[in-house]
Amino acid sequence: MKAANTLLIIFIVTIIIVLLSPNLGLINTANPEIQHHILTQLRIPRVLFAFLAGSGLAICGMVFQAMFHNPLATPFTLGVASGASLGAAFYVYLGFSFSFLGIDGTTFAAFTGALIAISFVYGISRFRSGFSLETLLLTGVAISFFFSSLILFIQYLSNVSDSFRILRWLMGGLSIVGYRDIFQLLPFVSVCIAVILWLSRELNLLMAGDDIALSRGVAVQPIRYLLFFVTSLCVGAIVALCGPIGFIGMMVPHICRLLIGSDHRWLIPATILFGGGFLILCDTIARLIIAPAEIPVGVITTLLGGPFFLWLLIKFKAS
Amino acid sequence: MTALLQIHDLTVQVANKSLLSNINLELNQGDYLCVLGPNGAGKSTLLKTVMGIIKPATGTITVNQHSLSQLNQKQWSCMVSYVPQTHGQKLNFLVKEFIQMGRYPYHTTFSNWLPEDQQALERAIEITQTDIFLDRHMQTLSGGEAQRVMIAAALCQKTPLLLLDEPTSFLDPHHQVEVHQLIQQLNRQHDISIIEVSHDLNHASQHSKQILALKYGKTLWHGPSSDLLQESHLRDLYDQDFVFTTHPQTGAVIALPSEQL
Repeated sequence: MKAANTLLIIFIVTIIIVLLSPNLGLINTANPEIQHHILTQLRIPRVLFAFLAGSGLAICGMVFQAMFHNPLATPFTLGVASGASLGAAFYVYLGFSFSFLGIDGTTFAAFTGALIAISFVYGISRFRSGFSLETLLLTGVAISFFFSSLILFIQYLSNVSDSFRILRWLMGGLSIVGYRDIFQLLPFVSVCIAVILWLSRELNLLMAGDDIALSRGVAVQPIRYLLFFVTSLCVGAIVALCGPIGFIGMMVPHICRLLIGSDHRWLIPATILFGGGFLILCDTIARLIIAPAEIPVGVITTLLGGPFFLWLLIKFKAS
Repeated sequence: MTALLQIHDLTVQVANKSLLSNINLELNQGDYLCVLGPNGAGKSTLLKTVMGIIKPATGTITVNQHSLSQLNQKQWSCMVSYVPQTHGQKLNFLVKEFIQMGRYPYHTTFSNWLPEDQQALERAIEITQTDIFLDRHMQTLSGGEAQRVMIAAALCQKTPLLLLDEPTSFLDPHHQVEVHQLIQQLNRQHDISIIEVSHDLNHASQHSKQILALKYGKTLWHGPSSDLLQESHLRDLYDQDFVFTTHPQTGAVIALPSEQL
C-alpha cells in the first residue's frame, strides 16, 4: 500500500519534529532547575499548542479545498480568518471579559466573526443563480479587505496598549505559557477533526462536484453547512488564541494531496500530522532565527505562503 | 402494471424564470426514452429534477410509487442514478475509487463493504469493460474511457432507472458508437430503464423506444421513436427544415438538416 507507507513516513517525520523542537536553542544555564522549567512550562506546551493549531488550520483548509474543488479556496482566502480577527479585535476593543465553560470570550467573538464572514461570502456567491468559483474567491478577497479596514478602524479608536495588543496578535504568534491555552483549543480542534473524519466519504464525493455528489445520495447542502460550522468554530478558536496564521491551510493540504492522493481516508490523517509538524517547524525557525528575540510565526508562514500562492496560480493557469 | 417513473404536472422555476412547465411523463420498466429539443429547452433541467438535484416548484415525481418529496437523497439514489455532462478526465480519482463510490447510498460511515457491494462493483466493471484501467488515474483516460467509467459508477448504484445527459456529445464517432452500444446493452440485456438527453436525431429514432420533445420548457411532442422522423415534427422542434434519406447498410430513415434557407 503506497498511501499507507507515505502516511507512515509523514508520521515518523512529525514525531521527530515534535521531539526535536523543544530541545533546540535551549540556553545553557548552570541551573538545571531553570532548564527544566523552560522545557516543561514553555517549550513542550508550545510545541503541543503549535501542533493543535497547525493541524486545525490545515484540516480546515483541506475541507474548503474539497468543498470548492479549488486549492486556492481556504478559510483565509475566503475571509473566514479576517472575520474571526475582526470578532476578536472588537471584543478586545469593547473591553469585555467573560468566559463560558472555561472558554474565553475572545473565542466566541472570533467564532461569531468567522461564521458571519462565511455566511456572507457563500450567500453572495449564491445570490445570482449559478455558482462560480471566481465570484466566491473575489467575494472572499473583498470581505477580507473590508474586515481588515474595520480592524484598522478599531485599532485607531483604541488606546495605545490595546492597539499594540491587537497589532502584535494580528501578526500571529504562539508564545504561550503553560498548558491553559492548550485546553482552550483542544475541544474545538477535536470536534472539528471528529466531524471531518466522520464525513470523509462525503468529502470524497463533494470533490467530484455537487451534481455527482447529489446523484450518489449525498445531502450536499446540510453537509456543507455543518462543515462551515465546525471549520468556523475551529478557525475561530485558533485565531482567537494565536492570531491569523496564514497559508498553512493552503500549503499543507495541497502538498499532502501531491504526496498521498485525494482519498480523504488517507488525506485527513496525513493533513493533521503534516499541518501540526509544519507549524512546529515554522515556529522553531521563528524562535531561532534572530535568537534570543523571536519573530511572530505568522510572518514566516506568510513569507512561505505568498510565493506558494503564486506558484499555484501559475500552475493552474497553465493546465 | 404501474409505471416505474411517473412525473405529474411538473414545473421548475429558478429565480422566477420558468424552466419547465406542466411536464407529464410515464416510463415503464425497460423503457428507453430520449429527450430532444433545442438548446435551453429544459432537457438537462428535467434530468436534474428527476435526480433530485433541482427542486421542483410544483408537481410530483414518483419512482416505484415512492415520491421524491418523501425520500431523502440517499434513498432516492438507490432508485435513480445519473451520468452528468461532466468530463470524467477532470476528476482527481483512481478509476476504481470512483466506481466504488457508487455504493455510497447503501452505506453509513462505519458500515462494512459487503459481498453484495463487491458483486455490484464487479458487475458494473464487467458490463462497461473498465477492468483494464481500474488502477489508472482518471486524468489519464481518453474521453471514451472516462465516459465508460462515469457509466460504471452510476451502474454500481444498481438502480432501475438511469439518467444520461448527452453521454456522447464530446466523443469521436468511434467512441460514440461504442457508448451507444453500451447503453443499448444496459437497456436490453440488463433491463435498466433509461432516459437520455441527446442532440442526435438519428440515434434517438433508431435506438430509443420513446421520444420526448421539449421546447421552451414545455412538452411539444411525446410518442414512439418510430414517429419522430417526420418533417413537421422536426421543423416545429428546431425551426429548421430537414431532408430524409435512408442508411445504405441498414435501410433506416435518416434526417439531415436542409441546406436551403
